Amino acid sequence: MSKVEKNWLEWLVFAISLVLVAGTLGVLAYDGATMGDAPPSVEVKVGAPQERPHNFIVPVEVTNHGDETAEGVLVEVVLKQGEEERERSEFEIAFLPRRSTRQGWVAFKIDPRSVERMEARVLGYEKP
Amino acid sequence: MRCSPATSLQEYARGVAGGLLFSLPLLYTMEVWWTGFNAHPFRLLAYVLTTFLLLLGYNRYAGLRRDANFLEVAIDSIEEMGIGIVVAALMLWLLGRITFDLGANEIVGKIVIEAMTIAIGVSVGTAQFGGQGDNGTAADKRGVSNEESGERQIGGDDDEGAGKDRGVEGDAETEVNFGGQLVIACCGAVLFAANVAPTEEIVMIAVESSVWKLIGLMLFSLALGAMILYYIEFTGAKELVLKGDFKSVLFGALVTYAVALASSALILLFFGRFEGVALAVGLAQVVVLGVAATLGASAGRLLVQ
Repeated sequence: MSKVEKNWLEWLVFAISLVLVAGTLGVLAYDGATMGDAPPSVEVKVGAPQERPHNFIVPVEVTNHGDETAEGVLVEVVLKQGEEERERSEFEIAFLPRRSTRQGWVAFKIDPRSVERMEARVLGYEKP
Repeated sequence: MRCSPATSLQEYARGVAGGLLFSLPLLYTMEVWWTGFNAHPFRLLAYVLTTFLLLLGYNRYAGLRRDANFLEVAIDSIEEMGIGIVVAALMLWLLGRITFDLGANEIVGKIVIEAMTIAIGVSVGTAQFGGQGDNGTAADKRGVSNEESGERQIGGDDDEGAGKDRGVEGDAETEVNFGGQLVIACCGAVLFAANVAPTEEIVMIAVESSVWKLIGLMLFSLALGAMILYYIEFTGAKELVLKGDFKSVLFGALVTYAVALASSALILLFFGRFEGVALAVGLAQVVVLGVAATLGASAGRLLVQ
């Protein structure tokens, strides 16, 4: 009664399943044990501007270094000439999970390369 | 009983079909993906363990091998989870929900949350979709053929399955059957309620409903359970139903509804629907979801056992 009889395929499926299930449990347990409770901490990096037929676009990489998801992350990029603000653009990221990165673009009418600097920052986000 | 790899392959394929059939709505629901990365890893861990318990229960009382001992039931449950994980990963990748540039925790979270319902579906599919006619393989493994099922007791303890319970007195067996019924009702409730539980609609209805509407929903759920279990002669109901007198109908409907409410609360808890919510709204959500859970605990239970 206690003898389990299986063919090779069943043993194979069981072995793979055991590895997957144990692995999943292990990853979750490790992740849960090592993860802190830092609120979202969002870093914004701008890339090199590119010229498009109708506008100029700048790739933006947004990274959440915190331990919680940020929802509705509003990112703003300002083109500045000295203290004067030349143009401002923004975009929103629906969800930025913990320890992860999302990419987007901001679009401008004027060439970002023609101004002194681009200032990128995150305006705010909510707790999901 | 040892069968050929070809037969096993067929069985796994049935499981995959069942897994997809029952969890398809969840694979296509945004809120489920979001929960995959919003939920704390320990909550996902608890979800995996709870699902494993449900699988153990289902495989013991209603699964493919009713004559199986604990080891076999555990092995089957692990296999079903493994298949669930593989199917979830494949589907999420095909649907573009996981890509290789996402963080590891996001990928794992999404797969885990989808895989668990798929695993229950795999279990149900493997047990239910088997052709009884195909050389008796499926029936043999069940340890029961359909003709015998007329005599089958509520919990599915048939001739061979009852082997180890044979020494036990009659009323103890009824008890096991009642426990088995609860487990299967719970599986049915989770399987059906999980499809709507994560959506925003549940919260919306809960917030907007008046107390009278909620009481109406409760009465409706109770009536629905009683009707499906005792009145409309749903497939499989005859073997299950005790006696049709008023007291047992009331008892059966109440127990079914209680299981449905408990399952609803558990699923809502998992999807974080009680966080920062007033008690009344939380309760309202349980009642709203309870309709779907009742359907699962009554009709769903009769279908999956």
